[in-house]
Formats: sequence, structure tokens, C-alpha cells
Amino acid sequence: MLLLLLPATQALTQSLNTGNGIISFRSDAPLELITASSNEIRGKLDTSKKIFAFSVKIKSFNGFNSPLQKEHFNENYMESNKYPDATFSGKIIEDIDFSKNGTFTLRAKGNLIVHGVPQERIIKSTITISNGKVQIKSNFTVQLSDHNIPIPKVVHEKLASEISVEVTADMK
Amino acid sequence: MQLNKKILVAVGLLFATVIVSAQDPDDILKQLEKEISGDEKDRTDYTTATFKTTRLVNGHTVENVGKGVLDVKISHRFGNINDGGYELFGLDKATMRMGMDYGITRYLMVGFGRSTFEKTYDAFAKLKILRQSSGKRKMPVTVSYVPTVALKTIKDPDSDKTNYFTSRLFFSHQLIIGRKFSEGTSLQIMPTFVHQNLVDLEKEPNDLFAIGIGGRQKLTKRVSLNFEYYYQLPNYKLTNRTNSLSIGFDIETGGHVFQLHFTNSPGMNERTFIFDTKGEWGKGDILFGFNISRVFTIGKNKRN
Repeated sequence: MLLLLLPATQALTQSLNTGNGIISFRSDAPLELITASSNEIRGKLDTSKKIFAFSVKIKSFNGFNSPLQKEHFNENYMESNKYPDATFSGKIIEDIDFSKNGTFTLRAKGNLIVHGVPQERIIKSTITISNGKVQIKSNFTVQLSDHNIPIPKVVHEKLASEISVEVTADMK
Repeated sequence: MQLNKKILVAVGLLFATVIVSAQDPDDILKQLEKEISGDEKDRTDYTTATFKTTRLVNGHTVENVGKGVLDVKISHRFGNINDGGYELFGLDKATMRMGMDYGITRYLMVGFGRSTFEKTYDAFAKLKILRQSSGKRKMPVTVSYVPTVALKTIKDPDSDKTNYFTSRLFFSHQLIIGRKFSEGTSLQIMPTFVHQNLVDLEKEPNDLFAIGIGGRQKLTKRVSLNFEYYYQLPNYKLTNRTNSLSIGFDIETGGHVFQLHFTNSPGMNERTFIFDTKGEWGKGDILFGFNISRVFTIGKNKRN
């Protein structure tokens, strides 16, 4: 009886967690292209209240053009010991029925915290619902200056001031 | 009666879920962070960037170059500052070492170099034995082992003497125990042993021992102040040699580290700078020097 109750209570909270997810970023500067990605993205989505939170460990990003670049990314730009995670949490603006299958474009309004600096953002996402499972895909950009990440003069041509980010997350 | 109990349990569970379920974005974020920090205990977080580069001033740090990375290093030491204005405070003279380091794995790097000082070739390996970490697997220090072999090729002024190839060889073994205490402060201890096959005088020892201590303090994100001191054990040192003391700066310029320093050692391999330094800081026998490095990523490896 208790075992039967367990899934029932889960359905009541209507909270989904990330299964597989990948987040990647791309800095396209005149002299250098830098890409890195992490599959250590974690998220929660409350389908009844339409609220969500996502988080990724900065240190879990791999890729880059050299090991030294990764070290500098963590040590000098993101300061990942001080600010270990980047997060985005907020609310879905549009009404959406998570019990219906289909693909929808939604806007999420929330707080994007990168390098410890919060920015209120509205981010467009494509959500695909199939039998209670939700896949979220999103592309957005992050201005380094918005998050207090200065670009030293010597790397101006090697580091873009605007970084494009791509996220895919399966929620269940 | 039995049914009532079940209903009670059901209501209780329901109530519990209502309490833990998030009310607004801040709550759901907190809940997520709580879950993540719960999982964190099962992860091991390895310390990175204990030092900016693989050398402190003359000697090694606990750092390795990454896998597939070739690091070309050119190091200069000028003459003594107390040589005066005629020698432009030592800048007219220079000794140098050209070398290359390569990372075979994340734990093993090899390198070789050639110093103008006594026309010496050197080759070394650096093996990371332990890595400082926190989380599931806790390790307070990083430990590296650096064996070096050096070949002195300068011609012996005494041409009558029979010179064996082996008498030009020097072997050194160094253990480096380092710890990053905070984001800006790192320290290391370096017990070092050198064996020389041939000594100048019979009373001189063939085996030399020294204990080194070094560290860095970051001044800004891209500049750090380094020091390095080697104490030679009294019965295992050559006569009329002084202990090596160096103070320098690491300046990171967009991916490359430029090192500027003051030292009393003109040599740049373990045998020459630790055990063959004659200058004294107190007398002003100080040399200005720099190391420049250019890093090339050769092996393409996706798990950087």
C-alpha cells in the first residue's frame, strides 16, 4: 500500500528532475574559437507552479583549446572556487499543459547567476512533451560585462564579449 | 482500523510533500542546491593551479604541463648586480637555458634542456604521485617526484687528465610536497639529493643533500610573488657554496607566464643552482633573470 502511495505523491508534487543534460558554450572571437561543454547540469521543474531551477558546476566544463585555457577559465575568469555554480531559476511566463504531448516555444523569466552576479533574464526555450517526459532546448547569450567578467586587453581578439550558450535537458 | 492507519499514512505523506515542495523560484533553487550538495559528498574535488607554472624560479613546482602540451622555455640569468655600472649592473653578461617540456599524461611530464653554464645538458621526468583533493577522497598535499640527469660538457682545463664520460654525469632526485592553502597562498617543501660521480677534492662528498622551501602569494589574479630557498645540509655540501635564495614574480599575459626574478644562483638545473651557488645576497651578489615560456598543444585531447 505504501509503495503504491509513493508514485502517487510524486505525481502530486509534479516535480521533474533532469536525467540527461548537456550545456555548451562558444566564444567566437576574431582570432580564436573556444568551445566547452558539461553534462553535469542539474535541474528541477515544478509543472504545476511552472517554476524551475537549473545549475551547472563551472569546473565540470571540458573542451577548450588547451589544458592551460581551462585552468585560466576557472582561475581568472569564472573564479570557480569562489563561484562554483552558474544557476538559472524562475517561472515560465506562458500557460502550458504538461499533460499534453507536443512541442512548444515558451519564455522563462528568471535570475541568471554567473560569476556570482545575478541578471534578470527572459530566455526562450523549446519544450517537447511526450508522455510526461519533458525535453528542454534553449539557446541564449551571456554578456561577460553583465556578470563582471573583465576581458584583459591582451586577449581582446581571442575572447568574445558575448558568449553563446546552448542547453539541452531531459526531465522526468 | 487497518484502513484508517493507511489513510493516516497517506495524509501524512501528502502533508510532508506539501511542506517540501517549493513555493517560488528561490525555494526550488534552494532545494536543488541542497540536493546537489548532498551528492557533492560522493565527489572528489581535485585542487588545481597550486602554482601558475611548472617552475617556481629555478626549481620545479608540483605542477605538470597538461597531456599533449609542449612547453618551450627560455630562461636567462644576467650577471651580478654589484658588478656596477660598467657591466650595466650585470646586464652585459648572461647565462641561459633553453629547454622543452612535454606532458605524456596528466601525471607524467618529461623535459630536457641545455644550459650555457658549464655547457650542461639535462633531462628530467616529473611524476605526480599524489594529488591534493577534498570531498570523498581527502588528500592534504600534492606530491611529485623529479629525477634528473645532467651532463656537463665543458672542456676540462687540465688536458693531461683522463676524463671519463661518467665523471661528467650528475644525478638528482627530488621530492616535492606542496599544498594550496587558499586561492592565493601555496607552499611546498623539496627534499633534494644529488650524486656527482667526480668531485674536485677528495674531501668533498659525492652525495649532496638539501631541503628546499618555496611558495607563492598571489598579488592580483594574474600576478604572484614567489620565493624559493634551498638549505644544504652541513655534511653533504661542497665547501664555499652558499644556499640558493630567489624571489620572483609570475606575470600571466594572456595564456603565457612570464617570470621575473632576483636570485644568487646562475645555474638552472638542480645540481648547479642548489649545490653550486657561490654568491651571497648580503654582499649584493644578486642576479636579475627571467623565464619565458610558449605553450603548444600538440596532442588533441577532448578531455581538457
